[in-house]
Amino acid sequence: MERTRQKQIVEALIVAAGTPITAARIAEIVPRLKPAQARALVAELANEYTEQDRGIEIWEVAGGYQVRTRQDLANYVRQLQKERPARLSRAALETLSVVAFKQPVTRAEVEQIRGVEVGPVMRSLVERDLVRIAGHRDVPGRPMIYGTTRRFLEVFGLKTLDDMPTLREIEELLLPADADADAEEGAPRVGRAGSHEHPEGAEAPVPGAAPDVSSELH
Amino acid sequence: MPEIAPAGTDESAAFGTYAVKLPVFEGPLDLLLHLIRQAEVDVTDIPIAEIAHQYVEYLTLMDELNLDVAGEYLVMAATLAWIKSRMILPPPEGQEDEEGVDPRAELVARLLEYQRFKEVSEALGEAPRLDRDVFAGPGEEFDPTPEAEREIKVGIVQLLDAYRRVLRGARPVTSDLHGVEAETITVHERMIAVMDVIASHETIEFERVFEVEGAPASRPVVVATFLAILELTRLEAIRIYQGVNEDLYPEGPIRLRRHEVPGADWSADIADIM
Repeated sequence: MERTRQKQIVEALIVAAGTPITAARIAEIVPRLKPAQARALVAELANEYTEQDRGIEIWEVAGGYQVRTRQDLANYVRQLQKERPARLSRAALETLSVVAFKQPVTRAEVEQIRGVEVGPVMRSLVERDLVRIAGHRDVPGRPMIYGTTRRFLEVFGLKTLDDMPTLREIEELLLPADADADAEEGAPRVGRAGSHEHPEGAEAPVPGAAPDVSSELH
Repeated sequence: MPEIAPAGTDESAAFGTYAVKLPVFEGPLDLLLHLIRQAEVDVTDIPIAEIAHQYVEYLTLMDELNLDVAGEYLVMAATLAWIKSRMILPPPEGQEDEEGVDPRAELVARLLEYQRFKEVSEALGEAPRLDRDVFAGPGEEFDPTPEAEREIKVGIVQLLDAYRRVLRGARPVTSDLHGVEAETITVHERMIAVMDVIASHETIEFERVFEVEGAPASRPVVVATFLAILELTRLEAIRIYQGVNEDLYPEGPIRLRRHEVPGADWSADIADIM
């Protein structure tokens, strides 16, 4: 099959899927295409979107590819929303952060770190499919253990869990005050170390195909 | 410390209230970190007496504002008091090995551990988030407009029309030969009957609710059932609705459905109402 045709199909599949679609799944559908070739075609498409200054981008999230609107267009796209998505409280974000790094983790372990009760917030995270019950720990009482979901990666635009904002080492927190201030400004960012950094810390989509996200909102 | 300032607006002044600028903390560790940062002291060398004093002052303030001071805040207050006492007293006799161990050490470790995750959560909160900053297609299900979004609440006129139709078809009260047989029907009874029907059907046509074992009900039953439906709607247990056509005009039969709130257990909530 002609390469141009293959690329058209790949583009169509990513748009139609809506949720992140894996290279393996693309390769299953497109005739005579291997996953590695699928990845190459996606990278090509992503590059084209960037070069053409399109309103959409191809992101690599949750182990797959997804077409998303540019972040600097959020003010416009938001007007299409029927209702505002429920916001995530600080309690929810803190709980998610602990679960993401410590999983599989019990409720008590999260409470030990946060210093507060987390039952209700954990339940709401499970209901929102950001956290899942990953089983029971084999200790007395058999407490439930929790982990993050693929949906969590998708919502926060993470390729994998390695993509989480940096969890700084304790020693790093103890650096002299001025060094600490520097670190605070630039350290915890979404995006893998060494990857292309955007002005707003926006995640670079497909490797080598980072769209030039302008920070100007109109 | 948080400031309490008289409200700037005339409106709240008229009600004799105060606008309170009180930062919200995610628990005792968060509050302690705030106090430490504000005091510009090193987290590894916390002036316990001073910080403990400010901490308790803050809890008192929360209490005065009728904010719920959660138990974990009080536990921390006790911990701070204990550390403070340990700092003043000489180490107890015969505990040589404990000498040199800073009574604050455990607290410092917890504060730092919490701080790391708090930083991560802040970065996570700023990450471009789906449906807030960036948007993607709706996902695999190509469901153009969900059924529920294409229905409208029924107007009172249409509802009364439908009611009149049912009333017309109602079975007249049989009797006479044996004199008047008093049929006792209560609205509450009919409410339970309607709920039973709705519990087993996702939605049901308005007219069918009035049927008793497939046959039209008697007039008294129809009247009581209609009152039951209105009461259940008022209690937000059910919704009365009608479909709409492509041009968004009401079309088709009036139907009833459960009034479900996401995340709530309909049957349990209903049991509470009844």
